[in-house]
Amino acid sequence: MSNKRFVFSTLVVWSLAAVPMMSQAQTESVGYVKTVTGAAWITTAGQRVKAQPGTPILMGSQLKTAPAASLGVTFKDNTVMSFGPDTELTVDEYLYAPAKGQLGIAARLDKGTLTYISGVIAKLKPEAVSVKTPAGIIGVRGTSFMAMVEESQ
Amino acid sequence: MIRSVPVLKLATALVTMLASAPGFAGQLPIPEGPSSFNMRQDPMPELPQIKPALSYVVLMPSPDGTVGRVVLAGERGDKVLAQAREGAWLDGRGNTASVGKEDLDRDFSGAMAARPPMPEQFVLYFELGATALTKESAAVLPRIVDRIRTLPTVDISVVGHTDTLGKSEANEALGLMRANFIANELKQIGGKNMTITVESNGERNLLVVTLDETNEKKNRRVEITLR
Repeated sequence: MSNKRFVFSTLVVWSLAAVPMMSQAQTESVGYVKTVTGAAWITTAGQRVKAQPGTPILMGSQLKTAPAASLGVTFKDNTVMSFGPDTELTVDEYLYAPAKGQLGIAARLDKGTLTYISGVIAKLKPEAVSVKTPAGIIGVRGTSFMAMVEESQ
Repeated sequence: MIRSVPVLKLATALVTMLASAPGFAGQLPIPEGPSSFNMRQDPMPELPQIKPALSYVVLMPSPDGTVGRVVLAGERGDKVLAQAREGAWLDGRGNTASVGKEDLDRDFSGAMAARPPMPEQFVLYFELGATALTKESAAVLPRIVDRIRTLPTVDISVVGHTDTLGKSEANEALGLMRANFIANELKQIGGKNMTITVESNGERNLLVVTLDETNEKKNRRVEITLR
């Protein structure tokens, strides 16, 4: 119960946070799909496309892989992420304007597996990089990690 | 067979109830069949072992071999991971522990196989105050072109830089001219899966830190990143 309540309240907070963020949603690509095995999709602003090498990722994009599929993405700041089967990740925030001091990545892993190699943003502003999961928030301090989220039943 | 169905249902209900209780986030195995137990005749059996949700994070060495840190803020506690292959449950419960290779292979082999190649960086140097490459760098450019041709999809960033000779505004413009010069060379390669972004850092991002008004050949450069 407490677990569900936590998840629910967290979702509420995220959906509220998404409103102002979407109003300044950028049309600029923040990364590109580099590898795909099996079926994977990128959903940006309600538009779902099948992922293939070269498919752009924007702020707000949701990345999804089918069972037995996998996906690899390289971001503008050289952050490299890859995803195993049955995975869902959303890029909630991606700011990369070093000259203006605007730096940050906030992603949300709802389920599945992620490998993460941090890029320039994590080097310049480590506290501005996080990956949210249903049970905890991963802060990245200039490094590589892997995470697995099993959906709660 | 038929008589034992209600017993099984009861057991299932009990298991479901336990599963929804606080702290039991994991899946519980349902008793395998009517033969598993009969409540009226047998004493209460041992409760099945509870398997926690397998949600965890593990710190890995970076491609350059260094090991950074992961800071976890979990629902049930905070953890810091500082050693290679040190893992923690994502909700922050319990202790951190080293994660074995078999576990990593089982859970992450799909994701690891999908990992794109690491971005590659090249630096080309320029003659003083010009958009002409040095002789050495002019020889390097074809190698970069060849490399790009081998990549099925590539996004390229081209960033121009200058030394500190001259006004900073003029150097912003010079950096951009250098970057555009290189970008135009790369555009000749063509290919539908190539995108190029161009920017100038002028004299703001020195490779060799110098005083203002300093002629420094290592600062007159364009940095090319292939992703």
